[in-house]
Amino acid sequence: MPVQGIKAVATARNGVGAFILQCKRLDFHYCDWAGSSRGMNAFLKHTLPSFAKANPQIEIRVSPRPHKHPVIKGHYINGREKAICVRNLEPEQISNKANLLKEASGEKLKRTKKPIASINESVRGIWSPYHGDNKTV
Amino acid sequence: MKRLQLQRWSSSVLSPRARTGGRLQQHLYYSLRRQSTASPALQVESEQLVDESSLNSSIPSSHIRQQPKYILPSPPVEAARESAKLAALHARLYLPSRLPLETLARALVDPSADSNSNFNNESLATLGHDLLTYYTSEHLLCTYPRLPLTVIFAAMYAYVGPKTLATMTREWGVEMAAVPGGEVDPGLLQFQRVAPGTDLDAEPVSNTTRPNDSRMSWRKSMTSRIVYDNEFGDPSKAPVEPSQQPTPGAQSTQGVTAEQASATFVRAVMGSIYLHAGRPAAKRFFEQHFLSRHLNISDLFNFSQPARDLSRLCARENFEPPVAKIISETGRKSRHPVFVVGIYSGQDKLGEGAGASLLEARSRAAVAALKGWYLYSPLNVRVPSSMEDEGAAAWKPVHVDLGEVIV
Repeated sequence: MPVQGIKAVATARNGVGAFILQCKRLDFHYCDWAGSSRGMNAFLKHTLPSFAKANPQIEIRVSPRPHKHPVIKGHYINGREKAICVRNLEPEQISNKANLLKEASGEKLKRTKKPIASINESVRGIWSPYHGDNKTV
Repeated sequence: MKRLQLQRWSSSVLSPRARTGGRLQQHLYYSLRRQSTASPALQVESEQLVDESSLNSSIPSSHIRQQPKYILPSPPVEAARESAKLAALHARLYLPSRLPLETLARALVDPSADSNSNFNNESLATLGHDLLTYYTSEHLLCTYPRLPLTVIFAAMYAYVGPKTLATMTREWGVEMAAVPGGEVDPGLLQFQRVAPGTDLDAEPVSNTTRPNDSRMSWRKSMTSRIVYDNEFGDPSKAPVEPSQQPTPGAQSTQGVTAEQASATFVRAVMGSIYLHAGRPAAKRFFEQHFLSRHLNISDLFNFSQPARDLSRLCARENFEPPVAKIISETGRKSRHPVFVVGIYSGQDKLGEGAGASLLEARSRAAVAALKGWYLYSPLNVRVPSSMEDEGAAAWKPVHVDLGEVIV
């Protein structure tokens, strides 16, 4: 047989066709007794319904965590999770934290050194010393 | 400070579906489940249940709802509306609102979990598989009319093969249930797992559509692979006669791998979109989730003798016979020489390659020339299924090639 095919898997490009939000679950933990949860309780009562309605892609769980500081935990598609302690925060600040968890990709934070990352080959190609105006010694 | 285990003490607050219950309850469930799989009496009962509900073809009546859920092999239909996971998955995939949650829940039930075809995703998956392979093959054949068939098989596998579909399931954030059952959250992918320690490659492939499939040493020609095998060039299972099929409700002992179950799920989603939202929505879903994936087709070639193939190709196309010429070189007598060789047919340069030896550079150049031929892609390609759109322009025939080189 002159040519064989090599089995491969097409790689995903999230956002090129469809976009899948990477945050799949948010857990809200509160305490009924402790003062550090005051903002969290107000957030759960007033802001969370609209937040959940605006983000139907995210499964939301609310559960108590007695005698502890309130926590928001995000679970991501890559299997990682991020937790933010929201003790003594105002409801607006908690809403910002929830948004932060929603928009995160779940990856560890990395420093990006290159402005562009691409899986496509460079159009210009790699410079070759053997082509063009060759200099002879 | 000692860390509290959230899962343990927050269980009472979580929805009853999120957990299967306390340890005692769990024990009770498991013992009951074991009985239900072992004793025929309970099984018949559950079968009757399912048959009744399928006959009524409505949401099971109240007397069924009183039955404990763990008797059912898969979650009841009305549980779909209560599952947060399922609703989140529906929204995450931007599925059309005409596709109800109940159908999505059904797409998540593998035939190995629930053998009743009214409640599992087998029929949806069959339709979805046909649609996926149709759309992919027409895209490949029209976009790259000169691809050799082995490469088309590999490209089909890369776009809609089971491995890719399993990867997609993971990327969609679908979680898998440990064990299928009626009390499980319907947002989880449910299938009977293969028993640990099972050797999947142990038994030889038998009962295929190919004649003489027991003769392992016989050569499989390309033509026979087109006729007998499936769209990936692999042997396909022969359809079982209806009289020999296991009766619905009978507990299937054999499980499936997570990859197979995930692939069936993705196909079932495609089929259910087609059924509920129509052809345009299904096609859009295919383009957004499947065609948008990145696949470099030039990486799928594996040539054994490229120089020979190229000379055969030139003879067939009435080109002048190919000649390899050195374009430039350096360090011929050194430890790491570099040769740049071009392959010319008359005045035309067909391909160019660099290598550490003359032979290597020549074969790389021949590979480049062959890929340049095979990867020809016409501009403004239309696929046959685009004629199904409303007000489509008149069809212009697409490029049909002579085919690959036969050596």
